[in-house]
Amino acid sequence: MTQQTWDEVGGLLPHDEFRAASDAIVANIEQVIEGKTATVRLALAVLLAEGHLLIEDVPGVGKTKLAKALARSIDCSVRRIQFTPDLLPSDVTGVSVYNQETHDFEFRPGAVFANLVVGDEINRASPKTQSALLECMEERQVTVDGVTYQLQTPFMVIATQNPIEMEGTYPLPEAQRDRFTARIAMGYPDPNAELAMLDGHGAVDPLSALRPVSDADTVRRLIGHVRQVHVADAVKQYAVDLVTATREAPDLRLGASPRCTLQMLRTARAVAALDGRDYVLPDDLQALAVPVLAHRLIPTADAQLARRTTDAIVADLVHRLPLPHERKRSPYDTRPPTGNGQAPFEPRRP
Amino acid sequence: MSAHRNLGLVAAAATLLAAAPLSAIFERWTWLVQAVIVVAAVAAAAALARLGRTPLWAQILAMVGGLTLALTWLFPSGGELLAVLPSPATFGHFAELLNGSVEDMRTHGVKVDDTDPLLFVTALGIGGVAVLVDVLCVGLRRPALAGLPMLAIYSVPVAVYVDSVPPVPFAIGAAGFLWLLVTDNVDRVRRFGRRFTGDGRDVDVWEASPLAAAGRRLAVVGLALAVLVPLAVPGMTAGLMGSLNSGQGNGFGGSGLGGSPGRVDLFAALSGQLNQSKVTDLVKVTTTEEEPFYLRFGVADELRNDGFRVRGPNGRQVNGDLPDPSQQSQPGVERTRHRATVEVTRDLNMRLLPVYAEPTRFADLGNSWFYDPNMQVVFSNREDSRGKRYEFDYVRSKYTPDRLRAAQPLPADLPLRKQQTVTPDVPEVRALVADLIRGKRTEYDKVRAIYDYFSEDNGFSYRLSTEQGTSGQEILDFLENKVGYCQQYAAALAWMVRDAGIPARVAFGFSNGSRRSGDTLTLTNRNLHAWTEVYFDQIGWVPFDATPTYGVPGSTRSAWAPDTDAPEDNTPQAGTPGAPGDADPSAGPDREPNRIEEELDPGVGSGSGTPAGQAPVWPWWAAGALTLLFLLAVPALRRHALRRRRGRPAPTVRTVDPPSVDASVNGAPVVTVGTDPDRARADAHAAWDELIDTLVDYRLRVDRTETPRATADRLAREALTADTEAGTAVRLLGRAEERARYARDPLTGEPLPAALRTVRGALAERADRRTRLVATVLPPSVLQRWRIAVADTSSRLVTSGGHLRYRLLRFSPRRIIASRAGR
Repeated sequence: MTQQTWDEVGGLLPHDEFRAASDAIVANIEQVIEGKTATVRLALAVLLAEGHLLIEDVPGVGKTKLAKALARSIDCSVRRIQFTPDLLPSDVTGVSVYNQETHDFEFRPGAVFANLVVGDEINRASPKTQSALLECMEERQVTVDGVTYQLQTPFMVIATQNPIEMEGTYPLPEAQRDRFTARIAMGYPDPNAELAMLDGHGAVDPLSALRPVSDADTVRRLIGHVRQVHVADAVKQYAVDLVTATREAPDLRLGASPRCTLQMLRTARAVAALDGRDYVLPDDLQALAVPVLAHRLIPTADAQLARRTTDAIVADLVHRLPLPHERKRSPYDTRPPTGNGQAPFEPRRP
Repeated sequence: MSAHRNLGLVAAAATLLAAAPLSAIFERWTWLVQAVIVVAAVAAAAALARLGRTPLWAQILAMVGGLTLALTWLFPSGGELLAVLPSPATFGHFAELLNGSVEDMRTHGVKVDDTDPLLFVTALGIGGVAVLVDVLCVGLRRPALAGLPMLAIYSVPVAVYVDSVPPVPFAIGAAGFLWLLVTDNVDRVRRFGRRFTGDGRDVDVWEASPLAAAGRRLAVVGLALAVLVPLAVPGMTAGLMGSLNSGQGNGFGGSGLGGSPGRVDLFAALSGQLNQSKVTDLVKVTTTEEEPFYLRFGVADELRNDGFRVRGPNGRQVNGDLPDPSQQSQPGVERTRHRATVEVTRDLNMRLLPVYAEPTRFADLGNSWFYDPNMQVVFSNREDSRGKRYEFDYVRSKYTPDRLRAAQPLPADLPLRKQQTVTPDVPEVRALVADLIRGKRTEYDKVRAIYDYFSEDNGFSYRLSTEQGTSGQEILDFLENKVGYCQQYAAALAWMVRDAGIPARVAFGFSNGSRRSGDTLTLTNRNLHAWTEVYFDQIGWVPFDATPTYGVPGSTRSAWAPDTDAPEDNTPQAGTPGAPGDADPSAGPDREPNRIEEELDPGVGSGSGTPAGQAPVWPWWAAGALTLLFLLAVPALRRHALRRRRGRPAPTVRTVDPPSVDASVNGAPVVTVGTDPDRARADAHAAWDELIDTLVDYRLRVDRTETPRATADRLAREALTADTEAGTAVRLLGRAEERARYARDPLTGEPLPAALRTVRGALAERADRRTRLVATVLPPSVLQRWRIAVADTSSRLVTSGGHLRYRLLRFSPRRIIASRAGR
């Protein structure tokens, strides 16, 4: 299967066209997930940013439903993997089997060979199996028996996991978590939405009635559009400042990686585009900071003891980090000068 | 214990440093050697006592013992055991020395020679201070208190020698005290534990802790203030500051000081007083003499390269017998006895008393006044002349020119002649003198030739406003310009007479002034005068006054030194002793009085003569008030200017893009005018900056972590809830700013100034009256900007200073030693 290059996909779409396509997807998903527009848009932004999504919440709030609704709304290949402790890496990536007719080994593609891969309960699988996703998520390719197979575009892994019941689970390794662009929590629906859900879901599963409103080609063009969104130097500086701040924050043992910076900016582009802008604002980065940053960070033992979650730490950072100004330092700030783009923290000394 | 030993040594050294001001008193340095010995003995005794861990009282006993041993060794009476152990005779000797020192203090003027009593008192005092300092520093750990005994040492030269206590010894003493404080503090901190900087780094011994930086800065500022404020306050520049400023002591008079009888620069004082616009009564003198010659109080008879200098007088008490020249009668010398009463006002403050020459007996003067028969001055080391009233008998000598002409040249090896004819080598003066005295055979003729040279015919005139000074170059200048006042005339005449090989000196005193009622003359600071005295063999010092009479109110001439400028026929009395009436400037027949008045006293002349000349004071007040108002208005004006600049459309940075001609679909060309994005950006930034400044002015929160959109939303939500129009306007401003900052192309064509006006109006309405007033008069945004600029500059300075210091500290010997010890 040959794919278009990004040049062929083209640059910015006309504003209306992008709006129509993206709104259709969001509206479609919202038929299934009521009252969660922000979450849905974020999920779509991750798709358009060519990232992967980790949905983490308690059972029964619609994690899998969101994943499946997103997958169904786009007319593309969708595969679902139920992660279990006995799942093997070859189940994910594929395996070469001996074909007696041709007297040769033949590659049977695994579950990742699809546009959208829904990995349910990803932390139930053994680390061995989880690691099978490492290569395909980052490099968008699978190597089996020394042969490398390219994956299609768009390619997105939507994984769910349950943070409460940790018995019999294998927490995702740091390398794996870093590959997920964003982690979102579903949260309980508000009472009205829940009431509407009871009405709608009572008789028939709305998921089965969901029809695709878009296809892989359209999504590729949307991605091409997102890639062209303008990012000012000040915004880039702000992204770097934000990431640097996590590395220097005293509450954090491990800060965010450069890959995170890249992914955050990419997601911010997608958010800006979904918002109808062709430029990124620091507001986008601020809104994305918790979903994009928090799941990659490891708090110090002290912070853990103080029950400070990484979400709270990141929110605090965003609240304290001054905006980089294109011009001179604003004279109105009563805070001490932090230098150019320095985080307002004492550097940690080993 | 080693810290104690160290501190003890520092205490001893600091005591010695604090004794440095004593160098101003003694002629030689013997006292210092003895002080070192005494202090060393005290310190050694203290160290030994501490070695035995004795209590404090035992340490004090040991120190006193050490002091006694050292004194015994230094000032033996002859009956000691092993030269250091005192016997009863030793203490008797000490008592004698103490008594003698009182006498010596009274009779000796500074700088004093080494006399045993004075040296003993000095050694005893320094030793006592050493004991006190040691006890306070090491025993009681109160080194700050140790400054008091140290200050006591400094007060000694100040007491005898107020005028010109040199600043350097005081600085040395102060450095010693600071050293003591620092040592004690370092020791204290070290005992407390590790020194740290606050950022988790230890501080080496050689480093100053950054935590103390605030203290250091405070100390520097305090010191600077303490030095600068007195300098700024008028009338407080006496003493140390005065001598720093002018390099020489101040003279007499209101702001002057009771200086010592010697060392005062009478010339400087003279010109200072003559130039004062205020007339102050200084002396009232009543005499039985009809036409007295000048009242005198000082003599400058030491001629150095920098001019005539006053030497310290030497003499005996005035209460005793004074030489009476009237007992030996000489032909041609007429001596008459008179009695005079002098009343000195509170404004004349010096350690000399004005008297007529050759006093013979004093009444009403205490033991502390002395008479120098050579200089003929009355002086004291302790009292000053302020408010003194005294009566004395004196002899007035009058000489005929013939008698003076008969005087023989002094033998060349006479000490007086050798001493009083010294002149620095100025060939031009020498040549002039040789020229003048060519062919004159007697001493008197030579003197007269030089004296007559200073006549109006030779172009000499009187003016007060000339450079003061009597050094060789200045004398030369005077002889060339021929303009000067009494100082130059007196000094030049004395110099030239000396060059002729005849002893001469400059005398200081009062002319007879112009205020006379009966026998009483009232003399003011304007009557201060200087003239020349020439020594003739067998006769003594004879006064010559070369200054033009019209410059000196109450000028008096004598038969042997007549007024060279007086026309023979108009002044029949010229040539007879004493003609004050004629010589009085206002009575001068052929001089315009007005000119003289002006030359004499420009200040008084214009002040009293023309009342209109006295400028009213209110313009100054008004100008001051206006300046103050202007200064107060500066922030508001600045704010206003800022707002106006931002309100104007930004100047076009770039020329507008030329209209691009597109071929439209239907073939008709569509002209689009490209708006300049830079300009739109600048406009948006200006509007946003103005909004932020407005927020600061109206005391609304400004958060640097907020994006423009968030700020605009917050304002619309919190501050402008009531006003939807303003809410829309502020959102527009926010959007414009965010587009200007972050988007490819800025927002154009929006009415930003109007939106800004709306928002400003809504915000002003919301603020209370006080906030509005402050925002108008003293806008916080401008003040804050300035404050931040100052803070930034100072922090940059501090940082660079820190870098520099760190680089310099690399060469600190303590650091090098510490690193070597660590190896």
